[in-house]
Amino acid sequence: MKGWRGLAAGAAALAVAVSGCGTSTNSGSTTETKEITVWLMDGSAPTTLTDALNKEFESANGIKVKYEVQKWTGIQEKLTTALASSTPPDVIELGNTQIAGFADQGTLADLTADASQFNSGEWLGGLKDSLTLNGKQFGVPFYAANRTVIYRTDLFQAAGITTPPTSRAEWIDAINKLKAANASNPDFQALYLPGQSWYFLLSLIWDEGGDIAKQDNGKWTSTLDSAQSKAGFEAYKALYDASAAKKAPADTDEAKPQQYEVFQTGNVGMMIGLPWELGSAVKDKPELKDKTAAFPIPSKKAGTTAPVFLGGSNLAIPTASKNAAAAKKWLALLSSKKYQDMLAEGGAVPGTSKDTSKLETNAVGKALAASAPNGKVTPSSPKWGAVEAGQNPLKDALTAYLSGAKPLDQATKDASDAITKALG
Amino acid sequence: MTAVKTTETAAPAGDIPPALPPAVTGGARKRRRRGGAFDRALPYLLLAPALIAILWLIGWPVVSVFVTSFRQLNLGELVRGEIVWTGFDNYVTVLQDERFWDVSVRTLVFTVSVVVASVGMGLGIALLMRVLTPWVRVALQIAMLCAWAMPILASTTVYQWMFDQNYGILNKTLVQLGFDSFAGYSWFSSGTSTLSVVGLLIVWQAIPFLAFSLYAGLVGIPRDLYEAAGIDGATGWQTFRAVTWPEIRSLLMMVTFLSTLWDFKVFAQIWVFREGGPSGESTTLPVLQYLEGIAKSHFGVAAAISVLMMVILGLITFQYLRKLLQTEEGKI
Repeated sequence: MKGWRGLAAGAAALAVAVSGCGTSTNSGSTTETKEITVWLMDGSAPTTLTDALNKEFESANGIKVKYEVQKWTGIQEKLTTALASSTPPDVIELGNTQIAGFADQGTLADLTADASQFNSGEWLGGLKDSLTLNGKQFGVPFYAANRTVIYRTDLFQAAGITTPPTSRAEWIDAINKLKAANASNPDFQALYLPGQSWYFLLSLIWDEGGDIAKQDNGKWTSTLDSAQSKAGFEAYKALYDASAAKKAPADTDEAKPQQYEVFQTGNVGMMIGLPWELGSAVKDKPELKDKTAAFPIPSKKAGTTAPVFLGGSNLAIPTASKNAAAAKKWLALLSSKKYQDMLAEGGAVPGTSKDTSKLETNAVGKALAASAPNGKVTPSSPKWGAVEAGQNPLKDALTAYLSGAKPLDQATKDASDAITKALG
Repeated sequence: MTAVKTTETAAPAGDIPPALPPAVTGGARKRRRRGGAFDRALPYLLLAPALIAILWLIGWPVVSVFVTSFRQLNLGELVRGEIVWTGFDNYVTVLQDERFWDVSVRTLVFTVSVVVASVGMGLGIALLMRVLTPWVRVALQIAMLCAWAMPILASTTVYQWMFDQNYGILNKTLVQLGFDSFAGYSWFSSGTSTLSVVGLLIVWQAIPFLAFSLYAGLVGIPRDLYEAAGIDGATGWQTFRAVTWPEIRSLLMMVTFLSTLWDFKVFAQIWVFREGGPSGESTTLPVLQYLEGIAKSHFGVAAAISVLMMVILGLITFQYLRKLLQTEEGKI
């Protein structure tokens, strides 16, 4: 469809032209200078890292780096448009649940043969799974982060909780103690847990031995209606019911409203969040800095941590990129220990280095590093992206079960059917 | 174009000025007649660029959607620029999906309710404006202009806050009034309830345009007709039936037609509220199309849904279109 592609190319050209206005101040000449375009996502790599990396790359190779930061909102559409154009970016960052869908459609370059350049021996397992399709690697792990329980140390102390809980029973115990100690505040929530925090639900399902789906002969079937998965739902409900007298809404997720905004009101004892969420809360309310810490999501088995959903990103090279060789060099440089350490320093679990010592300098970092190796990802089916981008059956099931609209068996069966259908 | 044809077609034009001297030379005649053909073509030539631009801008996307609906066009085909024809496969997929029928019925019910409510209330306010004292009317008009000028997403966000489960002003007010069961009540727990709130928002957004348009129509009705009706002792309802109604009927039909088109394809408000949830219960056809086209990157299937939407719209506005064409012909 020429019109479609023309329009898409036009839109992409416009986007490049507009964003070029903001970034082209340092590139004076447009003659023969070869350059690569790199799209990273908002908030993924600290600017100290990207500045140093791009500078080193430019002086070593004489190739300029056109570095652009993209917003997560609407990125699926933007990537679709960019990849359909004849001059896509040379390096793109893809959410680890998005990458299989793009790879399956042949839009990403196969990097299997080059993996050793990118330090493949030290790749983070969960991310490696997410970028592997039919045994081939279509990207390089970038960074990961997982949810930990972020808590208020002062409130814990006041409630007489001396050590962070290490099992689910202890956790519920701590919730009850917090509630009792703050009974005078009608808005107090010991644990802020909105009804659709589905990444946390995955932790509980995996902890109980269940899973979202299993693959047989290349065909995915959802296992959400298994007894183990149902136990995960029940654990969620137990925590949700215990969380507060005035509970968070059953029909919203952790981003609506942003849970860190609720956390920073001071009426919340704990939230299950990502490091950046604590960072945002502390930025708005600096006094929280010394009153917050984190512990890994406890398992039902005492002393171990629950498996966590490994959120994160991979880097990939579009098939249509004309500068793939230079892009690979850039990726190789980023995969080196120096820059991986900088990623860890920035508070993320690095994708191509197993050394997390730089991360473990504070409580949140320690909690992250402790649970990341136990990280899992959603089914690496090319069709999974559609489950998340559209109407997520896991969220619907949670809301229906928690609000009492459907009994557990019905809610999990409906979600299971919907996911089997979506992946089939 | 041959010279003979030019002469033939140009002949009537040449006949118009009867006082033309018959003894002009052949060459001069020819030149003049050619000029005549050019003159007659000139308006069309001048119109052509605009016409082509409009056709390209409006006509091409329609053709494109229609053509796409017969193709398998997923992300891969789009990126590789492949053309895969699949005949009616996309339509079969859509029509065999039970969900499509549920969603179609829901969309129709939603559209009809919203159109009836907004046109009815718009007409009511327009009639009210006629009898208001000037400064009250101006205040009302300013209020409506503000409502109208508010960006869709801004007003949608305000409605979300108003209906919020824990912090919404509506639930708090209801609790204050003694309806304790509304503490923490979720207005978005079912599709019907969600669509009712969305419908309320859309009616609120639509009323200003409808009220202003209909008021403009009402102002155009001569006052003496009402005086005459008053002298004849007509009641308010009789006056409305006999004087107002015939004058604004065609205008009312037009705004109803426009409202139907607009409300049928509402997407932003529904998506922003609950993304067509809970459990897909507030999904309408435009939302379904978005889920297929953007979320799943099945552009061919989404195009088929678009074509089916056009067919449904054509069916429900068929009567109006027929009348519109008839009256146009009658006038000509």
